[in-house]
Amino acid sequence: MNNGSKKQRVVIVPCSGIGKTYGTVSREAAYILVEDIRPDETQLVALSKLVMGDEEAKAIVSSHPSITIDGCKLACATKMVQESGGKVAKDYAVLEVYRQYRQYKPQGIAELNEGGKLLAQALANDIAKEMDRLQSEPDGGDNG
Amino acid sequence: MAEMLRFNIDKFTFQVATDRWYSNEGVWAKWEGMHVVIGLSDYVQQRSGDVAFVELKPAGSLLNQGEEVAVIETIKVNISLPSPVSGRVVSLNPEIEKAPELINQDPYGTGWLAMISVPDFPIQAQHLLDAQTYYEKIKREAEQETRNNE
Repeated sequence: MNNGSKKQRVVIVPCSGIGKTYGTVSREAAYILVEDIRPDETQLVALSKLVMGDEEAKAIVSSHPSITIDGCKLACATKMVQESGGKVAKDYAVLEVYRQYRQYKPQGIAELNEGGKLLAQALANDIAKEMDRLQSEPDGGDNG
Repeated sequence: MAEMLRFNIDKFTFQVATDRWYSNEGVWAKWEGMHVVIGLSDYVQQRSGDVAFVELKPAGSLLNQGEEVAVIETIKVNISLPSPVSGRVVSLNPEIEKAPELINQDPYGTGWLAMISVPDFPIQAQHLLDAQTYYEKIKREAEQETRNNE
């Protein structure tokens, strides 16, 4: 709930892996969060821009707390935010989230099955709750 | 720590611990006196991907060699694992249900699956592959697959 205070915008950086179901889930969750659940409090940054050293993307992640969503244990999103000078307020791994929501088994790549869509929604909801928690902290999650 | 046989394919390094036996399906069996500890080979765990869930036959179960002892769900596939030995399940890895990623992180150590009571392992081992044979088998398979994909 908005209490009238200005909330710190949170940067969302999902996995950019193509051809992997869990990467797709990470991006779907990010879109749900940024477009539907928290459009005014989040900003999506494409991981590929950080990989390419895009100055604007680096400036955004270095000036806001980030939440990363990794599709596999390589954790590229988390590593690239850190290497770009950003602070990771919370990192999510899709596999860990799936372990909490086993009923939502994700399948598909270009298009997720129903389980994958539900898992992405559950992940987006979890991140929104985490954002509420971070933003209730005195430093708005920018505690690095 | 067990000695390892290793080979590289592309960016991957596969390891085979030399102090145990292997089924064709890549389930290892390590003889420890009256008991045999079983687990998944490094080759199978790497090819199958990150493990999400593990379901093991409960302690007390009687198994025949080849009967399902575990089902592993990874990010890619569901695998039914046949027991490499006949015997009674004595105990299960207490950590594995809460932390199935141990299978990926340490397949020959903390990622073990179950301990099975096997009084006649030397006889049963005749149906298993020694480490060198298993190593040659999977190396051949991996190299063939690489050639097929070229």
